[in-house]
Amino acid sequence: MQRNIVRRGLVAGLLSVTVVAAVAGCGSSKKAADAQNNKTGAAAATSVQDLGGLDALVAAAKAEGQLNVITLPRDWANYGELIDTFSTKYGIKVNSDNPDGSSQDEINAVKSLKGQDRAPDVLDLGGAFAQSGAKEGLFAPYKVQTWADIPDNQKDADGAWYNDYGGYISIGCDAKKIAVCPQTFADLKKPEYKGKVALNGDPTKSGSAFAGVFAAALANGGSFTNIQPGIDYFAALKKSGNYIPVESTPATIEKGETPISIDWDYLNAGYTKELAAKGIDWKVAVPADGVYGNFYCQAINKTAPHPAAARLWEEFLFSDEGQNLWLKGFARPVRLPKMTTSGKADATLVAALPQVDTTKAQLPAPDQVDAAKKVLTDGWTKALNG
Amino acid sequence: MTTPAVNTVRARSFADRARRCGPWLAVAPFLIVMLIGLVLPVIALATGAFEGDSLKSSLGSGYRSAFWGSVKLSVVCAVLGAVVGLLVARAVLSGGTVLRRLVLTASGVLANFGGVPLAFMFIASIGNAGIVTGLLHDWTGFDLADSPFSLYQFGGLAVVYLYFLVPLMVIVIAPALDGVRAEWSEAAENLGATRWQYWRHVAGPLLAPPVMAGALLLFCGSLSAFATAQAMVGATVPLVTLQIANALSGNVSADNAGVGAALAIEMIVLVAIVMAAYWTIERRTARWLR
Amino acid sequence: MTAVLTRPVEAPAVHKRKRRFNATRTVVLGLAAVYFLVPLAAAVWFTVQDKVHGGVTGEYYTSIPQAEGFAGALRRSLSLAVLTVLGVLLVTVPAMLAVTLRLPKLRPIVEGLSLLPLVIPPIALVAGVRDMLALGPNQLAGTPFGDALVSSQDPELPIILVVVYIVLATPFAYRSLDAGIRAIDARTLVDAARGLGSSWFDVVWRVLLPNLRGAVLGAAFLTLGLVLGEYTIASILLFDTLPTWLVKISGENGQLSVSVSTASLLFTWLLLLVVSLADRPKTSRSDS
Repeated sequence: MQRNIVRRGLVAGLLSVTVVAAVAGCGSSKKAADAQNNKTGAAAATSVQDLGGLDALVAAAKAEGQLNVITLPRDWANYGELIDTFSTKYGIKVNSDNPDGSSQDEINAVKSLKGQDRAPDVLDLGGAFAQSGAKEGLFAPYKVQTWADIPDNQKDADGAWYNDYGGYISIGCDAKKIAVCPQTFADLKKPEYKGKVALNGDPTKSGSAFAGVFAAALANGGSFTNIQPGIDYFAALKKSGNYIPVESTPATIEKGETPISIDWDYLNAGYTKELAAKGIDWKVAVPADGVYGNFYCQAINKTAPHPAAARLWEEFLFSDEGQNLWLKGFARPVRLPKMTTSGKADATLVAALPQVDTTKAQLPAPDQVDAAKKVLTDGWTKALNG
Repeated sequence: MTTPAVNTVRARSFADRARRCGPWLAVAPFLIVMLIGLVLPVIALATGAFEGDSLKSSLGSGYRSAFWGSVKLSVVCAVLGAVVGLLVARAVLSGGTVLRRLVLTASGVLANFGGVPLAFMFIASIGNAGIVTGLLHDWTGFDLADSPFSLYQFGGLAVVYLYFLVPLMVIVIAPALDGVRAEWSEAAENLGATRWQYWRHVAGPLLAPPVMAGALLLFCGSLSAFATAQAMVGATVPLVTLQIANALSGNVSADNAGVGAALAIEMIVLVAIVMAAYWTIERRTARWLR
Repeated sequence: MTAVLTRPVEAPAVHKRKRRFNATRTVVLGLAAVYFLVPLAAAVWFTVQDKVHGGVTGEYYTSIPQAEGFAGALRRSLSLAVLTVLGVLLVTVPAMLAVTLRLPKLRPIVEGLSLLPLVIPPIALVAGVRDMLALGPNQLAGTPFGDALVSSQDPELPIILVVVYIVLATPFAYRSLDAGIRAIDARTLVDAARGLGSSWFDVVWRVLLPNLRGAVLGAAFLTLGLVLGEYTIASILLFDTLPTWLVKISGENGQLSVSVSTASLLFTWLLLLVVSLADRPKTSRSDS
């Protein structure tokens, strides 16, 4: 009978813990409602002038005390340092959610967490998602103080979204495992690279892998309106065994499975320091035959729980300090041309960027990218499987 | 027992009504939880699936080959996993309690394992730069890359899927194997049956329903897996779950959520068909047990 | 059929049969051990190599508990796991017993519902859950159900995650319990017990459940493993559980990202071993 008592006691204990825990969760719908009631005029501000200057914005942001960001890995274009610098400078706690998430996840979070304290305040999205989000009215129009420095074709006229930083597709290579590092897409076809070439994910899902296919298209007679040569190129590469469909990650690079990785140049360049500590000599080259670059976009959530902090974050990102921090992460900030002429860009950081012949580089228009995506998603599996 | 005459008198006492409601009260929590956590989300998905022309585009040729690829992979994995799982479970359960406890708990963990870590484990062992590949090459000169087997194709994916399907089968078939009494095999032996006859007429029919149920579970499990495939082969192997993930959570195609929802609904329809087939077979094999 | 009513009892003759099986048994176990342990060993070997100084290092394991937020994420995951296991058992066991014994017509519905969560990819299910949750602050704002939806997303103890995890664990729990119920021929046991005059509660608690102990434990193991390893849904709904926290701290460090997954595997396994000690070894046939 003693075992019975012990068992009954255990069950009773577990049940009471459950009940207590369940009741404890019942109090927080109030918090969300209160957060919405405490909005200052920040939610309607479309520039610092609306609030009476940068100092007023800083004060309002400090009063809010927190900022929710989403899908920002710390090692992506030096976001870690950006977050830490912002946090220390203004004393605002930054909550970084779902760092591995996708642009679609960001849009979904905005829609489903509306009105909650956890909703993301600011977004860093791919171009297609920024446009579709703006069409759905999810973003608050806001023009940063340095608005004029952003080229017209890289921002939404009303301020719903604006390019922040970008890069070019590059070929990263483990110089200790590969005798001669490939410099162009034509090089990658050589038999000595059999089983060694990988993309950063799947082109139908990963933005950088899609860009890799687009760059390959440019290198093989395609154009911004014709991505098919890129698909054919990778189909041939897979058939010859050079391309392996594995998602290239720092782990697979360190293991030696993906010694050649096609990825954004700021990501590849960011790996170099980390991998050097592990004894890997990681070289980055932007292929001269296929120069494809693209930018990401910033946007502010219209129903952001911390609207003043969100706007301060944007001001910070587009200030000289913020743009230089992105430069430190080997990304090309959108204000770089203007900052180079005015001398505000950090010259050493600019020199450290992977070499690109920027005269050859052009940016695709958003509708060209959309059309290419459709061709790719329809044809990729069939081309690589057959 | 009570005579039929007594039964026809409707006792309207509270106790009697409570007794009749009893089973329904037992089923109610299950139905409520399923309603909130499953039925409502599926309805939300369905509303997304039926808007616009998502349904029509989800039946395009690309997606059809993805469905076919998924079904092929799942059938292969279900059959292999069920057989191997049954063998492993038998081998383990006839051992001591220590082995049983270690394997059953490990199976509970591994049955839910998958995704990037699982892919990496196999890449690290039999990938192009894997340890086993290297050892094989050093010891025997055999180069895995030249063999028809490749980790980054259909066959490789199936081998990797077994890593979580076999433990699932083990843990699900274990109670059934426990129920096959030692006395029955001895009784059969005493009556002169060979081992083959014992399996064909006693243990086989007894184990057939749970093994089939396990295979069905494995089929559904491998049908809905995608993270492992995404990390290892990407969209080079046509799988419908990858398409769903791209549509609902990708970085490339915006505004495709409707197609993703439509594909998910179609997956449910597919499994409903498979389950209907399963039930007809099950009713026949388990008839003698009722 | 008296053999059915007796609990599984070890007969002495089973020793003789064991020796005949040994060859196949050893081969099967050996192959299985190679298949399951070699990839794990390869991953672990990768994580202990010290590429900076040469030799081996345990730093990619010791740095995990020291990273910020470990205690909170662990606590959250453990409480989610406990709640989910209790929830799964409380929800499925009565339902399955009721269907087997009294409501056989409901079996297709219960079985279908219990298999459905396995078929829907977690990505799709969470999309539906998200849309349902979005009703809370919008169309259903102010109603009790709407408020419940909002408060179920409390980051410290998200009840919505518990509900979704119960749904996800049901296919496994159902199969495990179903195999157990069939194996013990529940109907005969119940008829006998009721005929001897016991109440329904006693029938379930003192006759059926002790015989189902193995199946219940199997269901509990699967559920625990599921909750402690589930990443997709928790990360998309933006909750901070152990798996999402592990991914966050590993960042782009290759060896750390692998060590967190092997450490998580090992930790969950040890936890399940501890839970399994609650099972007095009477359910296995080959007791010592």
